[in-house]
Amino acid sequence: MSSDRALIEVRNLTVDYVGDHSVARAVNGIDFDIREGEAFGLAGESGCGKSTVAFALARLTRLPGLVSGGQVRLNGDDVLKFDKARLKVYRWNEVSFVFQSAMNALNPVIPVSEQIMDVIETHEPALGKDGARKRAVDLFELVGIPPSRLDDFPHQFSGGMRQRICIAIALALQPKLIIMDEPTTALDVVVQRDIIEQIVDLKNRLGFSVLFITHDLGLMIEFCDRIGVMYSGELVEVAPAESILTTPQHPYTRALGNSFPPLTGPRQRLEGIAGTPPDLRDLPAGCRFAPRCPHAMEKCRIDAPQLRFYPEHMSQAACHLLN
Amino acid sequence: MIFLARRIAFYFAAFFLAITFNFLIPRLMPGDPSDRIIASFQGRLNESQVAAIRQSYGLEGSLWEQYLTYVGSVFRLDFGISTVQFPEPTASLLFYGATWTLVLVGLAIALAFTIGSIMGIHAAWNRGGFFDSFFTPINVMMNAFTPAIVALVLFYAFSLQLRWFPLGRAHDPNLMAAFDLQFIGSVLYHATLPVLSIFLVSFGGWHLGMRNVMINLLNDDFVILARAKGLSDNRVKYRYVARNAILPQITSLALSIGYMLGGALVTEQVFNYPGLGKFTFTAIGSRDYSFIQGQLLLLTTAVLVANLLSDIANVILDPRLRKG
Amino acid sequence: MTEITQTSAYSLTDRLDAAAIASAAPSQAQLMKELRVKARPGWVSRLPSGLGAFVTNPKGMTGVIILLALILFSIFGPMLSDYNPNRRAGGPHVMPSQEHVLGTTRMGKDVFTQLAYGGRVSLSVGFGAGLSAALIGLAIGISAGYFGGRVDEILTFFVNVVLVLPGLPLIIVIATMVETASPWVIGVVLAATGWGWSARTIRTQTLSLRTREFVLSAELMGEKKWRIILVEIFPNMLSFFMSGLVLGTIAAILAEAALEFIGLGDPNAITWGTMLFWAQNNLALQSNAWWEIWPPCIAIMLTGAALVMVNFSVDEITNPQLRASRKIGLIRKFLSSRGRSADVF
Repeated sequence: MSSDRALIEVRNLTVDYVGDHSVARAVNGIDFDIREGEAFGLAGESGCGKSTVAFALARLTRLPGLVSGGQVRLNGDDVLKFDKARLKVYRWNEVSFVFQSAMNALNPVIPVSEQIMDVIETHEPALGKDGARKRAVDLFELVGIPPSRLDDFPHQFSGGMRQRICIAIALALQPKLIIMDEPTTALDVVVQRDIIEQIVDLKNRLGFSVLFITHDLGLMIEFCDRIGVMYSGELVEVAPAESILTTPQHPYTRALGNSFPPLTGPRQRLEGIAGTPPDLRDLPAGCRFAPRCPHAMEKCRIDAPQLRFYPEHMSQAACHLLN
Repeated sequence: MIFLARRIAFYFAAFFLAITFNFLIPRLMPGDPSDRIIASFQGRLNESQVAAIRQSYGLEGSLWEQYLTYVGSVFRLDFGISTVQFPEPTASLLFYGATWTLVLVGLAIALAFTIGSIMGIHAAWNRGGFFDSFFTPINVMMNAFTPAIVALVLFYAFSLQLRWFPLGRAHDPNLMAAFDLQFIGSVLYHATLPVLSIFLVSFGGWHLGMRNVMINLLNDDFVILARAKGLSDNRVKYRYVARNAILPQITSLALSIGYMLGGALVTEQVFNYPGLGKFTFTAIGSRDYSFIQGQLLLLTTAVLVANLLSDIANVILDPRLRKG
Repeated sequence: MTEITQTSAYSLTDRLDAAAIASAAPSQAQLMKELRVKARPGWVSRLPSGLGAFVTNPKGMTGVIILLALILFSIFGPMLSDYNPNRRAGGPHVMPSQEHVLGTTRMGKDVFTQLAYGGRVSLSVGFGAGLSAALIGLAIGISAGYFGGRVDEILTFFVNVVLVLPGLPLIIVIATMVETASPWVIGVVLAATGWGWSARTIRTQTLSLRTREFVLSAELMGEKKWRIILVEIFPNMLSFFMSGLVLGTIAAILAEAALEFIGLGDPNAITWGTMLFWAQNNLALQSNAWWEIWPPCIAIMLTGAALVMVNFSVDEITNPQLRASRKIGLIRKFLSSRGRSADVF
């Protein structure tokens, strides 16, 4: 399914939000890899920085956000250092993006055909208008929309179809990585599964990697190969999907798992996680989760734990409890 | 299409409101318009003559009868008898003045909207840069100047002192009205300063409006997506952002026509330009009520037509409105 | 491409190569210094957030200071002068001198005195009309948005009518019918015709707030409607109200000046607009008596400019996107100094 070769290596990535009177560190020096052909999920509660990471990877960080440090390596080259020309090749050819709200992601005043074709014509001008149109038709068929609707406007499609259109656009140049930021959150449950299944099927067929951002851990566990759990701008655990569910190493991951009701089995008491995430402008020393952690030790409040790889669990976690 | 139908219905309603307003206001005031004329005859009129005059002013009969007569006369383009040039009909003067005013306002709006919007697009795209930091505040400041003052300054400087521009009129009086180059050239020459006055106090508003709408749009997902696709800057700027930004601006354009007309009226006074404004002021001085009321209806019609045009433009440009 | 080998426990951070370490971000404090982000001064934090933001905004504060200066001039100016603005104080068209700081008009009246007394009327009518229009717009906008249905339809119709009918011609009709349009009458008319824009924006905002949870929960708890409007909805409206107020005041002041300038006002009143009217009538420009025409001109323009600046800052405060662009220059420098392309948006 996925190879062991790293397509994207994120090292020491730091993203800040520059406010009027303060700077909030939304992502604090995180490291992780996305392998070729893998579906990597990035999970965490709202505001933990996962979308920020997604945008940073795609060089789409917008004000007041600023990638203040670190590297995003694609085959050894640092994406953050790409100049305009190299960036243009990177954009959509190598990495494409699917937004959360398909309605907002499509230009409401131009037809959908133009929105697929313009990216093809920009990057592969040799195909010409006809070639681009042909590929647009193929893409529509690939995601299951009748090509007769190619010249319609976005508001004429249903929510699920719009998201499929966005996926079709994302596939237009056969990229190596597709980043999906909460692609199904705005859709109803039935449509959600459809879309996710389609994405995974396409991934297996065409061989691209997927970075899948969501707060829906349950959905992620089903479809991702590996999952990274973020808390307050840091990665606290990275492990294969089943391990996250069955043998979570970090207390936060464990608590997340406990807050999802299982579909089958005896009724359990749902437990939320008491407290709130720390203020990013004024972070506590030591482990960021310590104030809410039921197992916090003295050491936790002083010394911030590093993400370490534990081969016995085949997973990485950042917690003093494991040492 | 339902959208357009509703708008047209609204415009008719608004127009009738203006007519009713015109009808009621003079009747709410003490005295009535015909008194002056009757007084000027100093008692040498007999009863039937007085009645005839009052009749021509629409002042005979019950209130409802008067109203119907008035509405009827409006639709027959009969705006009554001018007090100043008694007994000339007001309509001819109204239409003559209105034509020149519309020339002025039309040119000014076209220039202000176009140039202002282009500057706004540029400022938004390069926000925080030199163009934006310098021109945005200045252009907006100029918006705060009253057209009267700008007109005065321009008149004083360029017409009086430097004598680069004429002191009044819409065109060279020796030329016959025709669609030839000479006549049009003369018209443009005479309209330059008045148009410039109106332009200067309004283009800043379009600049700021377009800039702000665009800056908000720059944060929308579809614009980010357009960038993420690696499309050229120009394509993103015009086909994605500006193409969407223009929609609310067109609506604003329609709403601002009323205001621009006001500015034009004042400017005409300063430049001695034979538009509706200049004649209205003479009419005010001589209490020519039919003219003043006529100008309200005419200008209201102009604004409503402009609004309708902008609605049509919206339907053409925004596919979401074509649903109905 | 690096391969991920799995032998014993290790930290990815320990395996960061030199390049990754070199690219590390500066600390938050260092970043703040580099981007010149200054912490909020202590006393500001004790103000309610909107006010605090406004007070630290240079454009807004400049505007407020100019306005205060003009207001103070209008209040205290008359006391500095011995002349009566309505009476002849000296020879006609006397140049500015020690006796007459701003010279005299053609009728020999002192310009400085007229400017000061005129300011009282012009500013109070302008602010009064602006405030009234904003309040009417607020009341109608909230009612239309909150009550919805038939009420909304009727109110929206009137809002649209007021917006669409051309202002000046309408006012001219009214002013002509009323024989002497004193500045106060003009103010009332301006307020009665100028509330449209405010009403429309506030209605839109109310509509979007109406479905928010905190309003729905208040309704479920059985709170009285007027209380809900006052306590839940209004505070969120404040920025829109402020914007409408400032714009309405600008419009009122300019319109009042314009109306008096063209002769629709009461020529015996003393306002900045009537000063312009007389100056025009007396052909001040042609006689080179610039002091008769410039002072009221400048006074009006300053008022307008100051209000525009205040409006700018209200815009900036309510719309964070507009503020973000302030730091663009420094962010660009930050990026290029680290060898990264300054692709900022």
